[in-house]
Amino acid sequence: MKPNVLCVDDEPVNLILFEANLNKKFNIITAHDANAGLEVLAENKDIRVIFSDMKMPGMNGIEFIGNARNISPHGHFYIMTGFDVTDEIQEAIDNKYISMYFKKPLNFMAISSEIERVLDHMEN
Amino acid sequence: MDQNFNMSTLRFEYRITLAYLIIGVLWIIFSDRAINVVIADRELLTTAQTYKGWFYVLVTAVLFYLFLKKHLGHLRRTESELEEHRDKLQELVMEKTKDLDKAVKDLYGKNEVINRQNEELRQALRDLQETQAQLIQSDKMASLGVLTAGVAHEINNPLNYIAGGLSGLRSVMHEGNSKNERTDLFMDSISQGIERISSIVSGLNNFSRNSDNYDEVCNINEIMEHCLAIAGSQLTNSISVVRNYSDKPLTIRGNAGQLHQVFINVLLNAFQSIENKGTITINTSAEHNTALVKISDTGCGIDEDIMSKITDPFFTTKAPGEGTGLGLSITYNIVKKHKGILSFDSEPNTGTIVTIELPV
Repeated sequence: MKPNVLCVDDEPVNLILFEANLNKKFNIITAHDANAGLEVLAENKDIRVIFSDMKMPGMNGIEFIGNARNISPHGHFYIMTGFDVTDEIQEAIDNKYISMYFKKPLNFMAISSEIERVLDHMEN
Repeated sequence: MDQNFNMSTLRFEYRITLAYLIIGVLWIIFSDRAINVVIADRELLTTAQTYKGWFYVLVTAVLFYLFLKKHLGHLRRTESELEEHRDKLQELVMEKTKDLDKAVKDLYGKNEVINRQNEELRQALRDLQETQAQLIQSDKMASLGVLTAGVAHEINNPLNYIAGGLSGLRSVMHEGNSKNERTDLFMDSISQGIERISSIVSGLNNFSRNSDNYDEVCNINEIMEHCLAIAGSQLTNSISVVRNYSDKPLTIRGNAGQLHQVFINVLLNAFQSIENKGTITINTSAEHNTALVKISDTGCGIDEDIMSKITDPFFTTKAPGEGTGLGLSITYNIVKKHKGILSFDSEPNTGTIVTIELPV
């Protein structure tokens, strides 16, 4: 069975592409905003890898991850951003709330190998 | 004074001679007659005559003595009074000189204070202008930051559609074996387009990033390329850019956003200095513990009489509204903050070489 990976982004095209480019190796679950993402996490406790867009209506990526950590304390969180590293993102990296950030346009090869790396790490 | 003194002497001489003459004449005339009347005896008369002579000598001697004493006493008094006056005068002059010396010293002191205060005021004015320039600049950069953040976000998302789509397309074609040379060519060109847009957007981000961190790893050649990409819109076909970059990557510790501003300001000045046709040459090299960046243009150059002012805040040779006069002032301050050196070597109508030395 392919490992579950959650992707939260408010832009449907981004979700479709994320799924389409990574679904060979992983089971991609998508959510169109932070609240939907939190619901998915609450229902699927085995999701360990979570990607979130930074700029979303309502709750931004860092805020979503702040809440998601309560639901999945052992999750690995990643931010995807269309902009540069903001102070908020840098702070989250420094505090180890997020493992890494990926800049848009996304490099799916890099994302894929990072997911494999972290999953390997978890198994060992 | 001299003349009075002479006249008084003259008068004294007259007086004493006259008195002597009168007394002598009167004595000779009357004393003999008086003796002749009183004494009849011849022998006694001779003796009396002798005594009379002695008496005359005595009386004139006493008179001489009295006259001279009176006169010389007067002279001596005058002399000693004069001396006293002279002493007093000397003392007075010395006292006044001392007072004057003190007044002059005080004045010098006050002058020094005024000069110092003047210098302080001038410094305060310079500081104020610099602060104002920095405020305007940071305000500008803040607005630019908001703008570029928005633009970057709005461009990067659709760019992500393209990149993601391309990546998906590649794997579909790979699986379906429908991949061939032509599809590779098309997909590679899309991929190159994505990369170029992405690097310009990330250059914009770097340029306007507002950070106080001076410990970022800054790749000089990369930053220069970002700046050339951004400033490229100002380039006309008649200006050619020659890149003589260092063979090895040139990195320093500094503030990447601010270094973008430095290079772009110098590049824009170089572009604008060239009226028709010209060349801009960019040299980067590592020398000792310094990253050396030389940007030379074949433009109009800088007149010698304004050379010392070009980094002053608000100094501009452009028409009002066309330039703020902040570019080089900001550039100078950023280089200074990086403990570097900014220098200009210019020849009017020939060109300018701007050298930026940054410690590695």
